[in-house]
Amino acid sequence: MPIVPILMPQLGESIAEATVIRLDIALGDSVKTDQEIIEVETNKAVMGVTTLCDGVVSEIRAVEGVSYSVGSLLGFLEVTEEEVTRTGVDTTESLEAKKDPQPDQKNDEEENLHFALDGDSYEEDPSIIPSVKGLPVPTGVMGAHYISPRMRARMNDMGLREADISAIVGTGAGGRVTVEDLERFLDYLDEWPSVAASPMRMAVADAMRRSWTRPLATVGLPVLLDRALDHRRSQNPKPGLTLYLLRALALALAEQPMTAGYLIGEKVVHPRSFDIGVAVQVEDGVVVPTVRKVDQKSLSELVADYDDLVDRARRRRLTEEDSSGGIATVTNFGTFGLTTGTPIPLPNETLILGIGAGKKKPVWSDQVEAFLPATEAQLLLTFDHRVVDGGGAGVLLKRVAALLQQPESL
Amino acid sequence: MSVTYIDAIREAQETLLREDERVFLYGQDISSFGGAFKATKGLAEAFPNRVFDCPISEDAMIGLAVGSAIEGMRPIIEMQFADFSSIAFNQIVNQAATHFYRTGMPIPITVRLPSGGTPGSGPFHSQSMEGIYAQYPGLVVVTPATVSDAYHMLIDSVKLDDPVLYCEHKFLYRWLKSKKINGDYLPIGQARIARPGKHATVVTYSAMVHEAVRAADRLQADGYEIEVVDLRSVKPLDLDTVLASVARTGRLLALGEAFPWGGVTAEVVAKVTEEGFHLLDAPPQRLNARDTPVPYHPKLWAAHRPTPESICEALRKLLSF
Amino acid sequence: MTADGEFLRSAFQAMLKARILENKLSSLYKAGKIVGGVYLGRGQEAISASLGTSLIQGKDCFAPLIRDQAGRTAFGEPLIDCTRTYLGSVEGPMKGRDGNIHRGRPEMGMPAMISHLGAQVPLIAGMLFAKRLKGTLAGCVGATSVGDGATSTGAFHEGLNLAAVEKLPMVVVVANNQFAYSTPNSRQFACADLVERAKGYGIGGFSVDGTDFMACASVVGEAVRLAREGGGPQMIVAHLLRLGGHGEHDDGSYVPEAARSGHYGRDCIEVAMRQLVENGFATADEILAWQDETAEDVQKAVAQAQQEPSPDPYRENWTALSTEFPISTT
Repeated sequence: MPIVPILMPQLGESIAEATVIRLDIALGDSVKTDQEIIEVETNKAVMGVTTLCDGVVSEIRAVEGVSYSVGSLLGFLEVTEEEVTRTGVDTTESLEAKKDPQPDQKNDEEENLHFALDGDSYEEDPSIIPSVKGLPVPTGVMGAHYISPRMRARMNDMGLREADISAIVGTGAGGRVTVEDLERFLDYLDEWPSVAASPMRMAVADAMRRSWTRPLATVGLPVLLDRALDHRRSQNPKPGLTLYLLRALALALAEQPMTAGYLIGEKVVHPRSFDIGVAVQVEDGVVVPTVRKVDQKSLSELVADYDDLVDRARRRRLTEEDSSGGIATVTNFGTFGLTTGTPIPLPNETLILGIGAGKKKPVWSDQVEAFLPATEAQLLLTFDHRVVDGGGAGVLLKRVAALLQQPESL
Repeated sequence: MSVTYIDAIREAQETLLREDERVFLYGQDISSFGGAFKATKGLAEAFPNRVFDCPISEDAMIGLAVGSAIEGMRPIIEMQFADFSSIAFNQIVNQAATHFYRTGMPIPITVRLPSGGTPGSGPFHSQSMEGIYAQYPGLVVVTPATVSDAYHMLIDSVKLDDPVLYCEHKFLYRWLKSKKINGDYLPIGQARIARPGKHATVVTYSAMVHEAVRAADRLQADGYEIEVVDLRSVKPLDLDTVLASVARTGRLLALGEAFPWGGVTAEVVAKVTEEGFHLLDAPPQRLNARDTPVPYHPKLWAAHRPTPESICEALRKLLSF
Repeated sequence: MTADGEFLRSAFQAMLKARILENKLSSLYKAGKIVGGVYLGRGQEAISASLGTSLIQGKDCFAPLIRDQAGRTAFGEPLIDCTRTYLGSVEGPMKGRDGNIHRGRPEMGMPAMISHLGAQVPLIAGMLFAKRLKGTLAGCVGATSVGDGATSTGAFHEGLNLAAVEKLPMVVVVANNQFAYSTPNSRQFACADLVERAKGYGIGGFSVDGTDFMACASVVGEAVRLAREGGGPQMIVAHLLRLGGHGEHDDGSYVPEAARSGHYGRDCIEVAMRQLVENGFATADEILAWQDETAEDVQKAVAQAQQEPSPDPYRENWTALSTEFPISTT
């Protein structure tokens, strides 16, 4: 015979429980539909719990004087099948069948598993779909470039640039570096010896970091220096070898100025004046004074200006004006005995011409039909590949090399 | 012996009636019947001519309160349900809220709003109105989440010279119990750290504080320490405490039981983004009730408001960013 | 019962002041001196002044509405409050934070109206209720006035019903000026006379010709006396016509000619003047002297308010709360 549970009803809003005051039934009693069988008291009122159908009391669980929460089982009725059909009451069987349906989505299983294993006593409904949607990281899967506002602020605090955190493996979404990753990295670095970077170091670092955002390429060519060196010995005052390069670069650029062009948006900006800088090594850094209008003055006319700038550069007496407005730079790393390198232009320039140390080597002479000793050095040109291609840069570099073979014309 | 949330509300009113002769209670069924939720049980007998039943006239109830405040009284008005305060909206936001700014005379009325949902209460007995009132200048809106706050904040609300909407959560009435009412308490306008943590901050108030703490307890097992900030009053909003918490965690989830369009959670996110952008390591998130009327059926109701499950889910998304 | 001579002279002077002041406001508006609207009580001075004169400032309370300049003046509001509020002086009771008829002095028992009609009915009930709790209600009356339009609001109904339940000494004057902005009575209510509603609320009800000064004084005096002596709320419906538009921006052209030229189209001030002279309460010369005196007072109030500074947004205390947050914990 079907069994119908007697449950503590919801007896008003915000009523969580009620106390059984009196049981008006005994085991085996026959009860009628809508009969008040248990008297209960809430903090609002005294009320009777009624039955939903005719039946016989088969079990009483409620105890007088005890408080039961809403929905608690107070007892059972034994009811005929006909009575169940007539009244539509829930039986223990039908209640079991009515238990929470599972959600349709099969792929939810894993997520739900977590809740199921939670061991929490709250009744959970796995069909709950949170209203918070996904939080996509604004980058591709491999892109660790996204920097959150907090990361940015922390990096600014520390004076860090994106380049500085390139060593960190991100644990955030899409492999992004989270603030926690950064803090762990900083803690780790604390264990290493360190010194404070000088302002000069910071200035060079800043310039190189900015410059390195462009696709830079380097081409090279061997050049014989003997004629230039001979010419130099005949001059008074003697121009530095670097000045020959300055002058040759300026003349070559004046012939094809687009090579020193600067790409801004959809525009290539051309040089206005052929002012060329010269890299001067100072303590813990490099400074680049600019020699003005190099294409319009002869070597002898340039010597005094050049010497003065280099001298002031070494003594760190350059003004802001002295180092601004150049369109290209010449660097003579040969003075350090180096033979080759890949110089990097200043961020506001697109070209840098470098020269390595000269080396004596035998060079075949068609005229005397023998190997003759000659001084050869590597000439290297780094350019912004967005503006110039290898061919264009090569034409410029060859022209510079050719001009160095006619020092009297410089 | 323990004290429930609604006991605290009743006791606060008893204290106020006893200690301040300017205080009187006005509301529907609150006199000898003791109120729909028994928040005024026994007070009419203990304080004759201080606790009054009134007609079902929410507009007139607040109008009367404002008039009596002009005459120096400190009325406590019980709305039977926060939902019904919509009828009194005009008197609250236009009469009470503007009065000090317009005339220089403050209106010290306290409107008790039995707020939030309980299973089976349906669309018109479940609403959370705090965001709507907080939008209006001239109103203080408090949302106690604990038994002690229910007591002290009601006393402080009545002591304030300005109109206060005291949002008491019906779900907490008898569900929330405490050994005793604490002697120490924070002033209105100051938030509380309900649970310390370091991986993410949940800013919430009222009954959702408890749901947030449950969610945080679950995530503890996965090694996450979630900080829960209980705003206590949504207006004024204690941005300092919120920002300090976000500074510790870098991640924010603003949680509320009200409808999702605008409201307190939106304000919290906006303010943190405005003043604490540099503190955020992930986009701040909001979790609210769904954008439908509050449903009647307990199953629908339970899924309409944020639950420990949906809060956990939101936090996991936030933590995995 | 007939009002005594002193009452009538006093009420009439308030009517005169209101009319002369409002004529001035109208011309200031038309000269572009007033920002926002100007709302006049022309045609309602008799009923309004009768109410204001029946009340005792410092004891009673009075919530005037849009067309109560005469009642405000009679109750004791200085002319300067009006001109300052209309002209936006920072010295005024509203300091430029609110304007025109939205002004009051709650501390002297005259709350500032809000625009929402009917809202002052429960407010006045609250002031009286507080007096009862404080034990100072004996012999007090609270009054408010509304128009025919406000009788359609929930607040009016809730407020009157509540006042009746609480048996408060309240007088509500309904000035039925036949138009709520442009809406005629026929679209506002369906009962023959609004006074019928008094019965439904279980309160006293009076109907009076609002253009008949002596009748107004007598009926209002009686209603106020009844309320004062414990008779509970009283409602007075005064039948009259708004002699102008809703505000000075409105020419009221929708008011039919028949209404303008009908009985209620007559000017209550002219009626009052005739009644005073015919019954020997005042002489024509006296009235002329009052007019001159009032015109001078009005001019002074306008001049003073115009010279006063307007509010400064940079010095304004931009807070709507009297409590300073955060509250110090020490």
